[in-house]
Parts: sequence; C-alpha cells; structure tokens
Amino acid sequence: MNAPDANSGGGRQQQFELSIGCVPFRLQMTDPQLYDAASVRYAAFTGAGAQPIHIALNNFSIEEREPAEFAYEFEGAVLRDSSSQTNFDGVGNEYALDSLLRVLLSWKLAGRSGFLLHAATVIRHGKAYVFTGRSGAGKSTIASLSPEGSVLTDEISLLRRENGEWRAYGTPFWGEFRAAGSNTSAPVKGIFRLVQASENRVALLRPVEMLRALLPNVLFFSAESEANRRLLGILAQAAEEISSYELAFRKDQTFWEVLPE
Amino acid sequence: MTSKPSACWQKNPALAWREIDEATVIISPTDSVMHELNDTGSFLWKNIDGQRSAAELAELLAESYEVTPDVALNDTQALLEEMSTRKLVVPVSASGGESR
Repeated sequence: MNAPDANSGGGRQQQFELSIGCVPFRLQMTDPQLYDAASVRYAAFTGAGAQPIHIALNNFSIEEREPAEFAYEFEGAVLRDSSSQTNFDGVGNEYALDSLLRVLLSWKLAGRSGFLLHAATVIRHGKAYVFTGRSGAGKSTIASLSPEGSVLTDEISLLRRENGEWRAYGTPFWGEFRAAGSNTSAPVKGIFRLVQASENRVALLRPVEMLRALLPNVLFFSAESEANRRLLGILAQAAEEISSYELAFRKDQTFWEVLPE
Repeated sequence: MTSKPSACWQKNPALAWREIDEATVIISPTDSVMHELNDTGSFLWKNIDGQRSAAELAELLAESYEVTPDVALNDTQALLEEMSTRKLVVPVSASGGESR
C-alpha cells in the first residue's frame, strides 16, 4: 500500500511498496512530485511483499556507507546497492527512477533464478509465449496482433524459475505501447526468436542456439565476473529447460497457427 | 607469432563460461562480447588449468582425437594463439602467476 511515512527532517518522507516478478521494493522519498509520478507509473504493481528491498531516494544525508556490492550511473542518477540498503541519488524525474529500478531489478534477479529479457510476452490458453529480439525484430508487432488483454508486456519480460517451473511476469517498463505491462504471470510455454518473413514458419532451436539468442537481449549491467557467471548459469538453465524456437512470421495474426499449442 | 610449447596457459579469470550442447559459451563481462568454442576448442578449454603447457595439452588432444603429435601440437598452438588474441586465455609466468 502507498502510505505517508514519518517526517525525515528535510521534508515529509513518503514511501510506497511495489512488487515486480515477486521481488518486493519499498521506495522512500521526500519529493512529492516524484512520489506522485511514481505512484501513477507503478500503480498496477503496487503492493506489499515480505522483506522488501529498501530504496532510499535522493537521501544524501547518509554520509558513511558500507562499500557498494553493485553500483551504476545513468545520466547523473546513481544507484548504490549494499547488503543493508539501496540508494538512488540524483534522481530528477520518473524516467531516471524507472531506469535505475530496472537496473536494480536485473541485479536482484540474478540471485533469484531470474532475468529481464527484451521480449514481448503474450498469454494464450494460460501459458506464456515469450517473443524475443532486438529493437525492430517485431516484439511490438506481435503484441499489437495479439488479442486485447493477452499481452503481459511488449518490451521487457521477466522470467523466473520457481519450484522447478519457469514463469514469465509482466513488468512496468514501457515499450511502444507507452503503457506498463500487466502485473500477472504464467508458466512459460516457449521462447521464440523473432525473424520477420513473408511466410510463417517455426523451427526448434538447440539450447546453445537459444543461449546465443538470449544473451544479446538480456538486461544486465554488472561487469563483475562472479555476477556474470551466475547470470550465465541461469540463462543456460533456461535454454536447456524451456522449449525454444525460431519464429519467422508475417505481419498478421496467422502466425499463431504455426505456434505449438 | 607462435608461443613456446613449454608455455603454460590459464583461463582469463575475468570471464564467465558455461558448457552447453557440447559447446563452450564464454562471455566477457567488460565488453559483453560472447565467444563460442567448437569441439576441439572446448576440449582444450576444459583442460587449461594454469598448470599444463601447450605441449601437454597437445598430448591430451592427440590421445583423445587420435591425431599425430605434430598435428595436435600445431592445432593446440594455433587455438591457444587465437584464444590469447581474444583474451580468453593468458600465459602463466614461470613464478606461477599471470604474465603481465
């Protein structure tokens, strides 16, 4: 729940909680405009979760900090993550907040058997069809050709392995739809590498081919070796366990006819 | 340039790698470049441990792939040179550490 919090000295501190892919966050901030913008932007993902990750926004009053386990800078906005707290500093608007949030989420997911993928995800018969590819590959086209209400996201999908099963989640990160994805999840039916063509065709991919397709489309921002080893382990497991295909498709709804049921 | 057969090599510790489908996929976190090794490259990669020299790796290759020692040594040195160029492996100095 969004809820005002105690006064922190400089200004009235407010906080709200959100959960993306079952990763709970608690954002604390004093900027009312940023609070309002974030509340609107993440409205569909608002909700409390157990042991949320605390993010202090623009809280420069903390002088002494533990060494950061992970740090990232985006256009003057800085993310620092340590074992006890996460700080976002220099965040001037909701777009900077959104960028740091997706960077932080990608980092936290690596410890939770998950990852963020440039992919549109569509739910069909209760299963998630994940369509991946770089910009221009056809993710938004696939989403626009899918039935209303079935699109989890047209831009960034979240995949997690839970109890031996891979699930796809929507995320609040915008794509061409200029709208947040849906805050639901479904077991993954398959991952499809997109290729635009004049006719529809689907072909099974070997795990190494899927890994090759996944790597350039995964969002990950750490250059640290151990973190990348962990990520590669997760991706290799996904490539081995999830049915993977290349989907050549023409720009109409007939592509569904060649997809596995 | 060909390295000496007595030179020892180790995997670049900055890399992340994984065997999948009998291939080896290696990623370089600093520049996000992905490398893929074929069958022979994967065999060598598995056996590069910072202890074995190029000649010793070539012996293993000759045994496993039933090629002559000369062919194995040539192939091994060529692959090590290529891996070195791609910064996948680094030479080990006589004192046991990575050469600078």
